[in-house]
Amino acid sequence: MSNKLTKILDIKRVKNYPLYMVIPAVFILLLLTIYPFIYLIFVSSHIWPISPTLPRIFLGFGQFTYLLQDPTFIESLQVTIKLMVVGVTIQIALGTLLAILLSTKTRVTSYFTLPFMIPVFISPVVVGLIWKFMFNYDLGILNYLFEIVGIGAVNWLGTPQNAFWSVVIIDTWQWTPFTTLIIKAGLDSVDPTPVEAATVDGASRFQIFRHVTFPSIAPIFTVALLFRTLDAFKAFDIIYIVTRGGPGGSTYVLGYNIWKTAFYQNQLGLAAAMSVIMIIIATVLAFILVRIMKGLLERE
Amino acid sequence: MIGRISRTELILRVSLLVIFFLFFMFPIYWMVVTSLKNTVDIFAIPPKWFFSISFENYWYIMSDDSGFLKKILNSAIASTLNALFTLLLAFPAAYSMSRYKTGGINLLMWFLSIRMIPPIVGAIPLFIIFSKLGLVDTFIALPILYIIINLPFAIWMIKSFMDEIPKEIDESAYVEGCSTTGVIFKIIVPLIRPGIFATLVFCFIMSWNEFLIAYIFTRKEAITAPVGVARFITERQILWGYITAGATLASILPMILLIIFQKNLVRGLTLGAVK
Repeated sequence: MSNKLTKILDIKRVKNYPLYMVIPAVFILLLLTIYPFIYLIFVSSHIWPISPTLPRIFLGFGQFTYLLQDPTFIESLQVTIKLMVVGVTIQIALGTLLAILLSTKTRVTSYFTLPFMIPVFISPVVVGLIWKFMFNYDLGILNYLFEIVGIGAVNWLGTPQNAFWSVVIIDTWQWTPFTTLIIKAGLDSVDPTPVEAATVDGASRFQIFRHVTFPSIAPIFTVALLFRTLDAFKAFDIIYIVTRGGPGGSTYVLGYNIWKTAFYQNQLGLAAAMSVIMIIIATVLAFILVRIMKGLLERE
Repeated sequence: MIGRISRTELILRVSLLVIFFLFFMFPIYWMVVTSLKNTVDIFAIPPKWFFSISFENYWYIMSDDSGFLKKILNSAIASTLNALFTLLLAFPAAYSMSRYKTGGINLLMWFLSIRMIPPIVGAIPLFIIFSKLGLVDTFIALPILYIIINLPFAIWMIKSFMDEIPKEIDESAYVEGCSTTGVIFKIIVPLIRPGIFATLVFCFIMSWNEFLIAYIFTRKEAITAPVGVARFITERQILWGYITAGATLASILPMILLIIFQKNLVRGLTLGAVK
């Protein structure tokens, strides 16, 4: 063992160089993740005000037992999952439709692809603000158009139900391009031969998609699904800008709950305990993603 | 999908594309248009489609009163520094993982799993640590913190570009007496130059757009553009003219970079899954 260690530490040993090249990246990431994580657990067992002069009181698991009975926390967990499931489902469905439309190779579709990428590359803050303006009850362009068409003005952000769906619309606007790009890449790489063979055999277009095209894009489809799920779990920016968790807690997602508890209500310890629970859920989700990605890479 | 398409279907497809196009483009159009209206026109009911262009929002935004240009500059500093830090760490790691399979698939997956951590979770302990070190609201805090977000992306992205260079090229260079450094700088770097630029640009845009971390770790001096725009929402009123002007200014750079580097940027977004 010590022999192995001296070998690894031998700077002149050329075989070590590949290892040395990875070490800075690994070291920095460990420093920025593992140490804070241990510290997070330490903080979560205390009442910990932001101000360093106030006393810190040790509670052990007290905050966790409190959280598991706290209706606000449970509700924010439910809202997060609801937003995640509803949003991602719509984004995947629309993304698939748009990818099919764009993957038909014509001159028009090649011009069309770039504009569809813009939402992903602008700041969620900007996205939230534009939509907040368009959703405005009096000034908003959407209510103006709705009145012209005869539907009447909608209180987009005013009722719990509407606010939830408004956030879903904004999230869909920003992230459908992402799912589209991934699924389109999958469709573009499908081998045309089996599709042609099936056409010759008289299969319907739906049958071809269901039995030939879909199985070959299934892996990349899963990647889109999982990436979006994990990102939707982190939701914060749009909520902060557009609804601040309201009205009536209808958009009070976990990320916003943690931020508010820590940096607004000044309870870092309680927020740390919430973070620990959040990281456990994220780990389970990430574990599933990693398993699937690993399967994909090993198959190649 | 190639087969013959009937006339009705063609019309259906094109109209669907147009609807999607309007849905995705209109908000951006409306942001730019609103930023060019004067205050009276912005608050006009019904909204004005035609109006005389006014730059009053931009004059205010760019004046010393708003201090917005300083925030744009802060964003540029933080994003540039982060892109450089990230590249310096990612390039050797990606080279080693691409050519020597260092750490194998498990190391690659470990990097991926870092990407999955919700930023707010890291923000609490890191905020306490950075406060103790006196790093909150400094120019170095954000570039360091964004490494957590960007490094996993960058490693996957550069590695996916390197994997496309056949190993035979390296090997023939070695045979001709080239050193490892020579191979890296004379062969790998020139061949993946577009990939390196795309990685830098990708890290730059991600840092440029980031809000949560910037909001928590800056106070006054190091505030970035997204935080600056969000601050135009005040207790008393929402300054839509300034907001849309600020939002437009904050979006111009990412949009230009997207147009130049579009194909390779998508690769970063999807961790190299899309080639």
